[in-house]
Amino acid sequence: MIRELGALTRRELLRLARNPQAIITSLLLPILYLLLFGQAFNLENLGGGSIPSAYFLAAFRGAPSYFSYFSAGMAGFVAVTATLFIGANVIFDRLFGTLKRVAASPAGAVEIFGSRLLAGMIQPIGLAFLVLFLAVLTGHAGLAGLDVTANVTVLGAIEVLLAIVLLSAMFASLFLAIGFSLEQPQTYFAVVNAVNLPVLLTSAALYPWGTMPPWFQNVASYNPITLAVNVLRINLFAGAGAYYPYDPAVYLLGLLAWGGVMFLVAILLARRALAPKK
Amino acid sequence: MAEGAIRVDGLSKVYHGSVRAVDHISFEVRPGEAFGFLGPNGAGKTTTVAILTALLAPTAGTAIVDGIDVFSHPAEIKRRIGLVFQESTADADLTGRENLELAAALFNVPRREVAARIEALLDRMQIGDAADRLAKTYSGGMRRRLELAVGIIHSPRVLFLDEPTLGLDPQGRAGFWRYVQELRRDHGMTVFVTTHYLDEADGLCDRIAIIDRGHIVATGTPSELKDRLGGDILTVRPLAPNAGIEPILRAVPGVLSVTAQEGSFRIKAPRGEELVPKLVEACAGAGIPLAGVSLKRPSLDEVFLEFTGREYREEEGGMTPTDRAVRLGQVAQAMGRGRR
Repeated sequence: MIRELGALTRRELLRLARNPQAIITSLLLPILYLLLFGQAFNLENLGGGSIPSAYFLAAFRGAPSYFSYFSAGMAGFVAVTATLFIGANVIFDRLFGTLKRVAASPAGAVEIFGSRLLAGMIQPIGLAFLVLFLAVLTGHAGLAGLDVTANVTVLGAIEVLLAIVLLSAMFASLFLAIGFSLEQPQTYFAVVNAVNLPVLLTSAALYPWGTMPPWFQNVASYNPITLAVNVLRINLFAGAGAYYPYDPAVYLLGLLAWGGVMFLVAILLARRALAPKK
Repeated sequence: MAEGAIRVDGLSKVYHGSVRAVDHISFEVRPGEAFGFLGPNGAGKTTTVAILTALLAPTAGTAIVDGIDVFSHPAEIKRRIGLVFQESTADADLTGRENLELAAALFNVPRREVAARIEALLDRMQIGDAADRLAKTYSGGMRRRLELAVGIIHSPRVLFLDEPTLGLDPQGRAGFWRYVQELRRDHGMTVFVTTHYLDEADGLCDRIAIIDRGHIVATGTPSELKDRLGGDILTVRPLAPNAGIEPILRAVPGVLSVTAQEGSFRIKAPRGEELVPKLVEACAGAGIPLAGVSLKRPSLDEVFLEFTGREYREEEGGMTPTDRAVRLGQVAQAMGRGRR
């Protein structure tokens, strides 16, 4: 099982590495958002200095600026845009016969699904850190930039890494579930688009927490993107922990629960798709 | 293996409750045998292979491959068999070598043997020079040979070839079958091959089953099948049209039937070569000069015509019953009424 899983994961990663357009497309939306939304919404300048900075600090939950707050949100969002190709690859592999070739081997649904999940969890790590790095760079180019005000500890870095991995696992599972359930690429992308935007728009990735009405805060607090970016923000911004009701561990547990549920749904659908056709 | 390499009994597959792709077929393939499953598009060949390789559940019947029940132990079956699909299934974004490494890992080829096996296969299939190129850059023939290499990397006991030369030019087809023959000779592999190329089945297979519209209509060696037609076919062509020749030909001992055919006469006879001098002598005795006499063994085209009552290529190019079933399923799925 381990050997099959390793070989299939290697295959997925090789394919991803050989298709840079998928990586570029994954980065396109988060970077565009950073350069447009992030730069345009300099919310801390509202009121021309008449509004106390403490108000903005509370609104951005400890982040020194909206752009800094927003950058962490985009680092989380890249986990969504990067993993959707993992599900799309299932559809294309079915169309091109590659999935049939693997299904004809002794590898079972666990190995076939697991390898794609692993690849889906690994790829966004680098991209999320790349988004954060680019966000820091824009600050050095005379634009609004990400200002990491906290001294990031080793534990903090591990928490950030875990948040990205768990968020990626959850979305990779979701997109794999969709990929194993559908047969046509156009249907897949229509469904994924219908899922992506509501998930992003009901999270705290974009909006300042302090400006959301309480009902929206309630909805957003359960959103997996929110759970992940909470962990990022607590660790990137000094004193941010005071603005969050829970420790990062609680948010990570929430992500684990989301990931677990999606994993179970996805593996059941993968098993059904890979079983001998009735 | 004391029993047959493949034993199929009463196998049926019905798609969407009405399209009977395979209808209660039974046959046995002996160990080491090359068994051909011959029929036009839509006859049920690919459905049969999909069932025997545990990719498709049958509606009824049993199938034993290499002594293992296919439906009870699908994973074990997949370990023991090799499968070459009619379409390219190798990963186009991997190199030829990477495709083989992946297959070796999936079929649990001992690690210490992997490199040597891959080198040997690349060499045998003559794709060694392109081993480190992405498979998407391969020609059609190279991709077919890579498919075969992937299918046999684990030295399967039974190799299924589902129309493996579809789309290849005659030279590519000949080369592909040469590799398969070498594998049989060197490894004693049982080969189950579906094809709609009659000449391929004739040249490669020890025995052939003719399948038509889901039914096996005949089974036997190529020679046996041809013999069931009544032996050889002779064509006698008189120098000038002569209506009186037919009764003279019929009267020659050994002639089974005579059919007039565009100025010639087509004669069926069990031992054609012995009949040629007798026919010439009978015509000469009746004062009928001949332009020529030819003798040929019946082809599988004629066998197919004999057993199905239809020309072999009749359904080619059109939509097959299975295609229709799949299309119907896709339409139903698109309308939200179910899935395939």
